[in-house]
Amino acid sequence: MLTAFYLIHLDAGAQETLVTGTVKNLNDEFLEAVSVVVKRTSQTTLTNHLGEYSISVQPNDSLIFSYAGMEPQTIGVSGRKVINIIMRPAAGREQLEDVVVVAFGTQKKSEIVGSVTQVKPEELKIPSSNLTTALAGRVPGMIAFQRTGEPGADNAEFYIRGLTTFGYGRGPLILIDGIESTTNDLARINVDDIQSFNVYKDATATALYGSRAANGVIAINTKEGKKGKTNVTLRVETSLSKNTKDVELADPITYMKLNNEAILTRDPLAPLLYSEEKIDNTVPGSGSYIFPATDWRKELFKDHTINERINLSLSGGGDVAKYYVAGTFTQDNGLLKVDKRNNFNNNIDFKTYSLRSNVNMYIFPTTEMIVRLYGVFEDYNGPIYSGGDMYTRVMRANPVLFPPYYPIDEKHKYVTHIMFGNYDGTYLNPYADMVKGYQDRGRSKIGAQLELKQDLKAITPGLKARGRLSTDRHSYFTITRQYIPFYYGLSNYNIRDNTYNIYLINEAQGRETLSYDEGLKQINSTIYGEAAIDYYRTLGAHTISGMVIGYFQERLNPNAGNIQESLPFRNIGLSGRATYGYKNRYHAEINFGYNGSERFHQSHRWGFFPSAGIAWTVSNEPFFENLKDKINNLKLRATYGYAGKDDIGSASDRFFYLSEVNLNNSSYGAVFGRDNGYSRPGISISRYSDPNITWETSRDANFAIELSFLRKLNLIAEYYIRNRYNILQQRSSTPASMGLWAQPQTNIGEAEGKGVDIDLNFNHTFKNNYFIQLMGNFTYATSRYKVYEDYNYPGAPWRDRTGYPINQRWGYIALGLFADEAEVANSPTQGFGEYMAGDIKYKDVNGDGRITELDMVPIGYPTTPEIVYGFGISGGNDRFDISVFFQGSGRSSFWIDPEATAPFTPYYYNSDERNSGIKYVNQLLKAYADSYWSEDNRDLYAMWPRLSTYPITNNIQSSTWFMRNGAFLRLKHIEIGYKFTPQLLKRIGLSSARLYLSGVNLYTWSKFKTWDIEMAGNGLRYPNQKVYNLGLLVNF
Amino acid sequence: MQRKLFIIVMLITLSLTACKKYLDVVPDNIATIDHAFNMRQQAEKFLFTCYSYLPRHSVLSGSANENPALGAGDELWFHNFYQPYSWNIARGFQNVVNPYNNFWQGTQGGKDLYQGISDCNIFLENIGRTPDIDQSERLRWIAEVKFLKAYYHYYLTRMYGPIPIKRVNLPINADPETVRVFRDPVDSCFNYVVQLLDEAIADLPDLITNEADELGRVTKPIALAIKAEVLVTAASPLFNGNPDYANFKDSRGVQLFNPVYDPEKWVKAKEACKEAIDACHAAGHKLYYYSQSVRQYNVPEVIRTQMNIRNAFNEKWNAEIVWGNTNSMVDNLQIQSTPRGLDPALRASRSTLGNCAVPLKIAALYYSKNGVPIEEDNSWNYGARFNLTQGTPENKYYIVNEYTTVRFNVDREPRYYANLGFDGGVWYGQGKFDADDTWYVSSKKGEPAANIANDSYNSTGIWPKKYVNYVNVIQSNTYSRENYPWPIIRLANLYLLYAEALNEVNGPSNEVYYYLDLIRQRAGLPGVVDAWTAYSTNPTKPSTKEGLREIIHRERAIELMFEGQRFWDLRRWKKAIDELNQPITGWDIDQVTPAGYYREKVLYQQTFGLKDYLWPIREVEIFANNNTVQNPGW
Repeated sequence: MLTAFYLIHLDAGAQETLVTGTVKNLNDEFLEAVSVVVKRTSQTTLTNHLGEYSISVQPNDSLIFSYAGMEPQTIGVSGRKVINIIMRPAAGREQLEDVVVVAFGTQKKSEIVGSVTQVKPEELKIPSSNLTTALAGRVPGMIAFQRTGEPGADNAEFYIRGLTTFGYGRGPLILIDGIESTTNDLARINVDDIQSFNVYKDATATALYGSRAANGVIAINTKEGKKGKTNVTLRVETSLSKNTKDVELADPITYMKLNNEAILTRDPLAPLLYSEEKIDNTVPGSGSYIFPATDWRKELFKDHTINERINLSLSGGGDVAKYYVAGTFTQDNGLLKVDKRNNFNNNIDFKTYSLRSNVNMYIFPTTEMIVRLYGVFEDYNGPIYSGGDMYTRVMRANPVLFPPYYPIDEKHKYVTHIMFGNYDGTYLNPYADMVKGYQDRGRSKIGAQLELKQDLKAITPGLKARGRLSTDRHSYFTITRQYIPFYYGLSNYNIRDNTYNIYLINEAQGRETLSYDEGLKQINSTIYGEAAIDYYRTLGAHTISGMVIGYFQERLNPNAGNIQESLPFRNIGLSGRATYGYKNRYHAEINFGYNGSERFHQSHRWGFFPSAGIAWTVSNEPFFENLKDKINNLKLRATYGYAGKDDIGSASDRFFYLSEVNLNNSSYGAVFGRDNGYSRPGISISRYSDPNITWETSRDANFAIELSFLRKLNLIAEYYIRNRYNILQQRSSTPASMGLWAQPQTNIGEAEGKGVDIDLNFNHTFKNNYFIQLMGNFTYATSRYKVYEDYNYPGAPWRDRTGYPINQRWGYIALGLFADEAEVANSPTQGFGEYMAGDIKYKDVNGDGRITELDMVPIGYPTTPEIVYGFGISGGNDRFDISVFFQGSGRSSFWIDPEATAPFTPYYYNSDERNSGIKYVNQLLKAYADSYWSEDNRDLYAMWPRLSTYPITNNIQSSTWFMRNGAFLRLKHIEIGYKFTPQLLKRIGLSSARLYLSGVNLYTWSKFKTWDIEMAGNGLRYPNQKVYNLGLLVNF
Repeated sequence: MQRKLFIIVMLITLSLTACKKYLDVVPDNIATIDHAFNMRQQAEKFLFTCYSYLPRHSVLSGSANENPALGAGDELWFHNFYQPYSWNIARGFQNVVNPYNNFWQGTQGGKDLYQGISDCNIFLENIGRTPDIDQSERLRWIAEVKFLKAYYHYYLTRMYGPIPIKRVNLPINADPETVRVFRDPVDSCFNYVVQLLDEAIADLPDLITNEADELGRVTKPIALAIKAEVLVTAASPLFNGNPDYANFKDSRGVQLFNPVYDPEKWVKAKEACKEAIDACHAAGHKLYYYSQSVRQYNVPEVIRTQMNIRNAFNEKWNAEIVWGNTNSMVDNLQIQSTPRGLDPALRASRSTLGNCAVPLKIAALYYSKNGVPIEEDNSWNYGARFNLTQGTPENKYYIVNEYTTVRFNVDREPRYYANLGFDGGVWYGQGKFDADDTWYVSSKKGEPAANIANDSYNSTGIWPKKYVNYVNVIQSNTYSRENYPWPIIRLANLYLLYAEALNEVNGPSNEVYYYLDLIRQRAGLPGVVDAWTAYSTNPTKPSTKEGLREIIHRERAIELMFEGQRFWDLRRWKKAIDELNQPITGWDIDQVTPAGYYREKVLYQQTFGLKDYLWPIREVEIFANNNTVQNPGW
């Protein structure tokens, strides 16, 4: 290695002198790959990652420094030995990041052939401790949406170029510093720590990741230290968070009246639940314990909450080492109220701490060692049930039978517990559920990474080798502590003198002391390693490069719950890339990934995924010379290739080549004997073996145009066609008479995706330092079934999925509500059980006189949006700045969940609720109370059909009745900032400081008013949040 | 150079092998289906798995465990706050989209019987290679599984008519054409069931010797009894020469029902019944008679007769039970059948719910005290049946003395009082064993058993007391119960089947009367001929084949009431179209006064069409397999 270093010196020759130096930009950052040319000989060199160069010259030579996007400089040597250069941006044009991080390496922007979207990290900076919530509308090519605002559970869903698969794994591969990471890891990463955020969308960009790349890749690299004195950055934010919208419920009087109506309208025999006396005497807000009118939401939730975020980073270094160390603290609070009588906190208090340390060391001049250490720690304190569960509980609590708790009266003066209200012990008291205990959760993820880079220019110029080893450990636990509430009920009352007695309902079950319940304990570990050889050389007009990389990855979940999931998850692969460029006009690239996955049978374990692409920079052609002042960049790109996906089934369905058998399934056991004394469990099969199951594969074509106009307006537009095949799907040709336990699955499905990503921005700086910037991006991603094995629906071609979008729903066409029994009798029979006048009437599409599955047609748009867009404007000067950003989504439908909202009927979200013995009876939404079918008011187009106190299967069929358009536009982010003057800052030792005010989700335009539309059909959970934020960013 | 090249090649080869190894993460001992038969202990679990598909005969409502014969007919009625899936069938909401009690696919309260048959086949294919099992045990297990396979086929055939017979399993990766099987003609289905039963009978034990561990497992008498039931079903009008299905063919043109009546089927049925009865007698089965426990008080003859009747069904493992289903204990059904507020001090207790209601037309089926139908009894004023009257001292063990009641409740046969609970009716047991101090039901509005909570009331005012074992005690938080295995077959059923088959083959005979009278005697009634001669307006009815057929049908309905027989009997006799088009009525339970309460009130107008004789096949099954034709009318 040392020899290699000296070789360069020897090579320099004795008669010439060696000039060395560094190249920086205006921000004092070292520039890599700046070309340094001796004007006389055209001898060329590039600066290294430290911005250093050395080149041999004669004393009176001139050097030309050039770097894309920068003003070239010509400097006379004049006998100097050291020449340091500061490059300035080319006139009228903002500095572009010229080197792009691509799969397993970097490329010059001008040489890029594949579809790589660079996102400026600062664009993702919103006042949130969850990065994923910032993605929607910011990344061309990404479909993203957020369904809940609960702290700690508010990850947005996101798909690169939409969904082109109906198989299992749908999300992109997420790489943080080259390591496969989870959505949660992405959510917790601090934007201030991000150096580059890139999205790889087509096969050329992703092929090297082979079997894991078919859904696209998000690659994030964290910041590295910069040579120079220590730079400290501190960001402090405080924000106020509140619900974007609360679901409105009917008032208690209406609730009782309609509940009685719901009973009578289906069964005139049944006794009423609420007496006239009760209805007449209930007064909302009276605080009466005899005739309670409980606003559960008010009892449980606060109007707003305050959250904090602090991020501190230090960066600096010298010739031998440089460092970047950052620490982040965030605290998100929930909206839940806390009962002072308990001395524990049952509100959500979600703290995250992270520490990141990236250190680059130059152990030899040609050898760089990078050590990256990071830890992310989450501490959660909250209610026993999730915040979302508390919201859904409020939606199922009775508002008129009892208060949250009774005050301590004379008879109960020695009681030390809270006297929770109930009717008979079987009703849901969400207040009691909320304050009866609390849950602690902890998550930690610690990772360490060692990377070595060796410049092998001693062997041949441009040759480099590197290797990386990385491991991380993840752990997660929960623990709950709770008491069992004592419930009190009203035993008798005297309405005249307003006195009442209460009695203890659950004397036998209640408990004052806390119990302790060990919850989940998850741990897992990942090991990853790679080794690569890189070559890059410019020879005259030709630029060639090549790379070969081998990698392995192992992930282990030791307490996975079953043997098959406990086995290590492994990937291993060999990938390579070769590029060729001519005169910076023509570029070609070939990539491949050759990958193995442990999930498949030996004969199908390895997959080969090649891709190729070409690019033509028209603006660099001689004939374009005249146009170049106006159109300063015009580039056309095209790529074609393959990418795979091994994530075709859930973790429990990993090894499709093996059968899965439960040899002790008590549900399939039997018992015998006079007193049932002899029992044995049974044997069940959950999967049959099939050795032929293999990768899902994507075949992508991508066409793009890059255009830069007057150095102000930049446009990148891409069009893609993506063909997915070998999608795993269940065989539907197997009749039940086959008697199988589980439907066989096979790689039979095919789908096709198409779409457009457009990224547009405009920058202008006025003479007086004012600037304006407009940006917009647009993603349209649609996909269709091409091959889908489905039932053979006789005479119903509309049931064929081929040609319809993935996530398209099929359902019945609702014609309205039945007006009367005569209409019911004279209409086609609807085969979903009980129905009568006021229930939903469906269209007999095939005209056979009855409504069956053959009458289901495709309805609405797909459930994931096909269009996501964002646009914004920002402007200001060197003191003030303001930016406004809008985000919208289009072409999606959602369905109001008719079971979760059906008034007065029981609804359970999970089996724990179902088996609890507690009545979870739906509340009455105001929207329904205002518009429903009744015998007196036969509104055929009312929002809710005839009331009932039990589920009416006829009305909960998938149909157009509850379908709504999911399109919306929202004012996503607005920010006003002020930069303090340097004079002021100098006095207190700061180099820069910016104070800013921002807001998120401030206003939404949509037709749907019942709840926040982005939550789609699931609006009864923890709502999305509206945030007002104050932040300060200082540097010193 | 060559050496270097050699080393490089070696290294690459080595690393590639290492890579191959790297991906081999699965150890050898991962459980697969092969492990299920490599030792007796595992194979026994598979045997129990085959048993696990036995339908849960005692379950009224549940996710995959309903007995349609309880909730889908007219013996029991419910209300909106307690809805078994099967009740939707009773109310005419059966459909092809997602049929209720779908036993073909195991949805909507049905069990997946084809999966069960498939498991039986896996067992039969593999049990031969289990090494550590001795030959006699192996033969017994094979016989048991063959029996189960036959029973599942029979259960499906009784519901769906012709079904695809599943003799052996098709390979998992069979091509789509092979798996699209056709339905087999209904005669073939019955023949196949009988063939399997015959194969099983040879190797089944005559009786269970290890009662502590094995009671409930299949024996020879059980298999013979089921064979008798199968052959009687096959000989009955629904399946024997039914002209309604003369044009029911599959897409190949194969006729699925034989339109020609074959009297020989009744002969086979008669012989099978006799063989079963003989085997049962040989195994010690006999009609149940109550023997008093030492703890109880003096029991008058009236109560003793009631105990004879009630306990014959609900006393576990009494001598009359031929096949008790240990995997279907009668537990919740007892809660659903005991009136809330039977103990007036615990009227608010939710430990009993009393949701099962008996329609008036079912109560009307019971004979008068003279052992003839109330509408035929020349001493029973049928026209005045809804007039009010008072409980009298002579009737004090039936109706509370001086309690205002309705004539409908008076002068009925002992089975009426043993099997039904009603307003003013004496309810023996449940913690009160002194015949002069018992519980009684009072269910008019405001009374303890009246409707006060939506989910625990009885919509007709009549409770099926038959399900309730008399030793159960109601407590404030719990209902202490004697749970008992559901009697799938008891000896009385076999006697009635035999009597029916005898009459169909030879007409009235002393042998027919003998078996009928054995049952009537236990029920405290005079013999058929005596009763009709003395009290009936149609005294010669027992002497004609048609008349006797009616009498046998009625006797069967009464004796086996609530036992899951009437539902299937009405279908095989093709009488459902008459019986199940009658309105469901009950007392006007929302009334305070006797005059108001004892009015017959219509709850529901049941409708039954020709198509309802056979279950609909879920339409997706036909979409998956176009060779399976839908049943007529669906």
